[in-house]
Amino acid sequence: MLPVCGGGIRREKMAPPGKQHASGACVIPGGFTVLSLKFRSSSSAQHQLCVKEHRVRAEKNSNRPLDRTLFVLNIPPYCSESVVKGMFSQFGPVQSVELSEKPGPKEAENTLSQYFKTAGRQCFKVGYIVFKEASSIAAAKSHPLNSPLLVSNSKKPVRVGLQKWIHEYTQSIVKQDALQEAVDEFMNQYDKTKEEEVERLQKEAEQQQEDEEGWVKVTKGGKGTKARPHSEVANQKTLQKEDKKKRRKELVNFYTWQRRDTQREHIAQLRKKFEEDKQRIALLRAQRKFRPY
Amino acid sequence: MKRKHLTSTEDLENEVDIPNAAQSEDDVESSMEASKKDNVVRPLKLSKGDLYKAPTVEELNQLKEAENLFHCSLLKMQMEELLKEVALSERRKKLLDSFVEEINDLLQSVPETPVVELTDVSWLEDSAIDVPFTMVPEVNGKFHMEPPASVDLIGSYPLGTCIKPRVTVDLAVTIPPNVLHPMDGINQRYPRKRALYLAGLAQHLASSPEVGPLHFSCLHGNRLRPVLLVTPSGKDSSVTLRIHAIPPPDFLKPSRFHPQKNNIRTDWFTGISSEQERTEPSTPHYNSTVLGDHLPRPHLQFLTAHSDQCPAFRDAVALLKVWLRQRELDQGTGCFGGFLAAMLMAYLLSTHKVGKTMNAYQLLRNALHFLASTDLTKSGITLAKNPDSKAPSLPEFHSAFQVVFVDPSGHLNMCADMTACTYKQIQYEASQSLQFWDDPTLDSFQALLMTPKPMIRTYDNVYQLSDMVKLQASCKKLSLLGSLMDHSGNYVLAVLPFILSLLQRGLGQRIRLLVHSLPKDPEWSVYSEPPKHKDQPPLSFGMLLNPEQCFSVLERGPPADSPEAAEFRQLWGSLSELRRFQDGAITEAVLWPGSSTCEKRKILLKIITHLLELHADIPNSSVLFVGGRVHEVIKLRKEIKSTGEEESLKVVQSFDDLSRKLWQLEGLPLSITSVQGAHPALRYTQVFPPEPAKLESSFFKKEKTLNALLPQDWKACPHYITPVKVICHMEGSGKWPNERLAIRHIKAAFHLRLGELLKQQHDYTCQATPAHLDVWKDGLLFRIQVAYHREPQVLREKVTPEGLLIVRDNPEAQALEVETQHKPFLTSTLHGLQQQHPCFGAVCRLAKRWLGAQLFMGEIGEDAVDLLVAFLFLQPAPFTPPSSLQVGLLRFLHLLSSFDWRINPLVVNLNGKLTASDCTEIKNHFIASRESLPVMFIATPNDHKASIWTKTGPSVPVLQRMVTVAAESLHVLEAQFAQPSQNHDIRVVFRPPLEAYDVLIHLKTKQVPLAAQAVDPSPITFPRGISKGEGGSLGGAFPVMDFDPVKLYLSELRDAFGDLALFFYDPFGGKVIAVLWKPKAFEQQPFKTSLMNGRKVEVVNEVATTAPNVEAIVEDFRIMGEGLVENVEPRTEKWVV
Repeated sequence: MLPVCGGGIRREKMAPPGKQHASGACVIPGGFTVLSLKFRSSSSAQHQLCVKEHRVRAEKNSNRPLDRTLFVLNIPPYCSESVVKGMFSQFGPVQSVELSEKPGPKEAENTLSQYFKTAGRQCFKVGYIVFKEASSIAAAKSHPLNSPLLVSNSKKPVRVGLQKWIHEYTQSIVKQDALQEAVDEFMNQYDKTKEEEVERLQKEAEQQQEDEEGWVKVTKGGKGTKARPHSEVANQKTLQKEDKKKRRKELVNFYTWQRRDTQREHIAQLRKKFEEDKQRIALLRAQRKFRPY
Repeated sequence: MKRKHLTSTEDLENEVDIPNAAQSEDDVESSMEASKKDNVVRPLKLSKGDLYKAPTVEELNQLKEAENLFHCSLLKMQMEELLKEVALSERRKKLLDSFVEEINDLLQSVPETPVVELTDVSWLEDSAIDVPFTMVPEVNGKFHMEPPASVDLIGSYPLGTCIKPRVTVDLAVTIPPNVLHPMDGINQRYPRKRALYLAGLAQHLASSPEVGPLHFSCLHGNRLRPVLLVTPSGKDSSVTLRIHAIPPPDFLKPSRFHPQKNNIRTDWFTGISSEQERTEPSTPHYNSTVLGDHLPRPHLQFLTAHSDQCPAFRDAVALLKVWLRQRELDQGTGCFGGFLAAMLMAYLLSTHKVGKTMNAYQLLRNALHFLASTDLTKSGITLAKNPDSKAPSLPEFHSAFQVVFVDPSGHLNMCADMTACTYKQIQYEASQSLQFWDDPTLDSFQALLMTPKPMIRTYDNVYQLSDMVKLQASCKKLSLLGSLMDHSGNYVLAVLPFILSLLQRGLGQRIRLLVHSLPKDPEWSVYSEPPKHKDQPPLSFGMLLNPEQCFSVLERGPPADSPEAAEFRQLWGSLSELRRFQDGAITEAVLWPGSSTCEKRKILLKIITHLLELHADIPNSSVLFVGGRVHEVIKLRKEIKSTGEEESLKVVQSFDDLSRKLWQLEGLPLSITSVQGAHPALRYTQVFPPEPAKLESSFFKKEKTLNALLPQDWKACPHYITPVKVICHMEGSGKWPNERLAIRHIKAAFHLRLGELLKQQHDYTCQATPAHLDVWKDGLLFRIQVAYHREPQVLREKVTPEGLLIVRDNPEAQALEVETQHKPFLTSTLHGLQQQHPCFGAVCRLAKRWLGAQLFMGEIGEDAVDLLVAFLFLQPAPFTPPSSLQVGLLRFLHLLSSFDWRINPLVVNLNGKLTASDCTEIKNHFIASRESLPVMFIATPNDHKASIWTKTGPSVPVLQRMVTVAAESLHVLEAQFAQPSQNHDIRVVFRPPLEAYDVLIHLKTKQVPLAAQAVDPSPITFPRGISKGEGGSLGGAFPVMDFDPVKLYLSELRDAFGDLALFFYDPFGGKVIAVLWKPKAFEQQPFKTSLMNGRKVEVVNEVATTAPNVEAIVEDFRIMGEGLVENVEPRTEKWVV
């Protein structure tokens, strides 16, 4: 399957799949420029990265300035943020690189220590590359398809396979005292916020009290903060209780018609079961399930 | 990428197309819709009018009957459907009738032949038909052909109890009185004339164009009663006409065939005329053979009379015949055939044990109840109302036969050929069936009538006696001349009762039931000689083991000075020796060698070969243990004689010790409330249980600051150390925070603290991580995870902006619950199951080994497999819980290949906690929400609705493939087991077919740490840093644990390419990863930013589409597995890029 362009004319192998600019860059409908990527210079096959300037209507994230951010698709799993940074610095100095599984706003930064961070999936990713200068974007977008980016070179080899796993294993061994420190730090922080919370509540409670002159400050919380939060479960329980109360008051099997109804119901139940069984049998018969051998 | 359409891949492709299964479901539904008028299928809706209209009396009765007589109306309908399936169609009946008519006409025109000597068969020479009888020794007499005196239909067809398949119609041809002589009963003269007469009939029929190929057979394997099998010429050969030759009524006096009389003279039989007078031995079997030929017509009259009285008689007999057939009891020598079934039903009717108005269901139940409760080997029954004075009495019958059921004439024992063992088998089956019937949680219809019970899948151990000719020697050794005469030279039948009683005595309490295969009726062409006795198929002995005692190494006999001691010594011969026991007694005893479970499994074989050699001169080599080599695939190493039971026990003991030490730890801020194992090794179901490892520290790189050993990339991957998961619950307390992150940190603090204390108080090497604490103890690695019982709840809680506390289920909480609550519970429950059934663990391991070897272990969880096997033990109906590996494996494969997951939930009733109403509730819920539930639905007492163990897999195509492969493996195994003499390789079913896969990634054996576990391990082994003897001291350093490059590689591959391909691998030492492209992912898709991973762009007419970049992906397989991957083999013959 050779990539075919525009008028459907077949080109040579490794020919760009889109419109070719004078510089050799390949742009496809949708505004993406296709770049190629090789693991090392001796690799035979290439991945295709699609790049485009980052453009969303309302970018709230100040880390992704619209004019200097390049949006990259299909970054292979063995490219870490530093590798991507290295690859793209040929277009100009890179300020930061951010990789994520799906395009979209960045998840909230968490400040957890390294031990408590959850490891991400090692899949293909999208990247947001922030250059220091806006001109780098254009440089990247006009990069020709036939000169592939290299992931690993002799100067900066990228660890893959066995070497990577051994490295990761070494990294995964936890220094006991460092872990203890991290835990202690977090718990101190946590206790502090808890204390602050308690203090705040106390303060609010105090505000509810009459002051010397007998005034009470009315706050947004209505009749003061509740001791425990509303919960869905509690709500349901009350509803059930009321239901039960209602039912207890009803009389069953009292009037003749009620008893007649119960009998009728019994027969109807039998009938229903009979019909259900018949249906089940029909299903089995359709599958020839009654052949004993 | 396009697939080339090769026939070999097509079936797999179909399987991968997921909608396939759904489609067949649609088919069913549409056919159902067609069958129902109101076009509603599920859930059932009856209109109000229909449901509440006034019931008619008839309908009320019907509903009441269904409610009272059957568990539910379902069973009644099921039985009706079954009867419809086995009944003969009108078309077939017509065909049969016309064929019988034709044959009848042909038979009437048999030409007469001149009178010749009995030994002279020259009159048959023209047609080359051979006499269906071995004519030695010779006997005098005259014979000639004449047209039959009469031709009558007898047996099941005129009675109306004939059922499919193998429809046979019995035709009795009466030999004219002129051919016979009143003294013909003696010395086999009558049976020979009978055989000659049949040969004469065959000669006549063979010339007719309406008749297809002719065969001889013999009735219930009795060589004295040959029958002629006639099939119509042409394609419809599903009907067989069986022609019996019978003497004219009242030709021979029944009293001459009293079981204590002799009708075969020793002088004639042996050919040696002895001078002295001797008492001739009685010939009860020969007598009943001759007598039996006189009676088919009176028997038919008798049965017809009864069946006319009772409307459900025919159906009941048909059901009983199905029941017998499923248990392989209806054919062969000494069988309980359809005739006996009808006679039994008649007996029940005539003794008023059943009423005439009962329905077929009740009759069947009563018949089974009668069989279960009556021992015909001790107290025989008779149908004779007023026997004449010359008829033998019941005690006389009992002294001559093992099982007694006397016919209406009072002279014939209809169970003459049956061995006591066979009757015990029937009794056992009947009582089992009644139990299943009464169990409301069971589908008794399936268990009783629908599941076949072939011997190798039913009995725990099956031993085969090949070389039937060796039994001739046993006859001599046991001096059974009288019996041999009685069975007219059939030494197998003569010696069988003696072998059975010998085995029964020798095996005693070790077995619960001993059965033997019924020698099959031979069938041979009319143009060839009758088969010899030595050509009979081998005899199989099946036994149900008594799990507590079957493998005991000691056979303790009576005290040395007691009179029974001599008997004991006689039985065991030289193996019996005097032994003194701890209680001071000195007794005779036999001690069998066996230190491990693996060796003990062979004790039964040793006993059997020893006894048969000692008493019956049968050499060792003729006794074969069927499927006795299955254990080889779960042997830890070739050189050791253990299949892992002992190693599992060691792990459990070490865990118990650790658990005790954890409980006793001092200085924890909160106390421990439970320590539970959550790993297969702690319930004896780990395929290869971890063995204590002694490490050579010189093999590893040592990291000083972390004090841990590290693997090195230029050496072989170190020995894999399995972490054994332990869940440690801490007490609930107000001190636990109410926030998820804080709980995680507190748990980490606990891990650290536990590690410190274990180091201080017991000097274990420990290493804490936020998720768990690793403890290195006795060469094993325990991974302790602290759990807080409220954590899943905390994970589910959320506060809405309005301040309302809501509870929402999420996968994170579910996963935690599975890890900390369900898994430990399952582990302890299954551990309990292992205590009840000692071979549970081994069967689980075998099952997982098979699934692993067939590359399915990545798709189905270990816990789910353990539950499947547990099901075999908890609901074995119609079998008994397996007590041996081979039967366990066969039943597992059968379950996998035959269970219909689409319409049935698999209910594993652990600890018997589910009641009948629970089961119904589970079923109803399952039916109501089938579409949203996992394909493989397993319910347990703790999990009625979600099937937590199979949520993630297997998927529909994988399950389908699993079913196909299981069926094929079962087929191969059963074929192997049927011929144990061929010395087959059991590993055949443990080698996966690799043709179906698209890419094969071959791995370097050097870097596969578990390579030694492979089904076919490579001869080259690599040093992996463990030493056999004492390992060097690690100096408190932590070993390399849970480091398996293949596992890491697989998880990376699945992460990166999981949506494009499926990856299959055998976790037990596999050397190849098989990749299967998902066809759906390979379709051209329009360019989308969310769908670009691993794909390349193509622009046609200004529209960009994408397709997977296969070349780059295959290259990535190589890059990502650098150091581990030997080579990547794209099987491009199946697809093109």
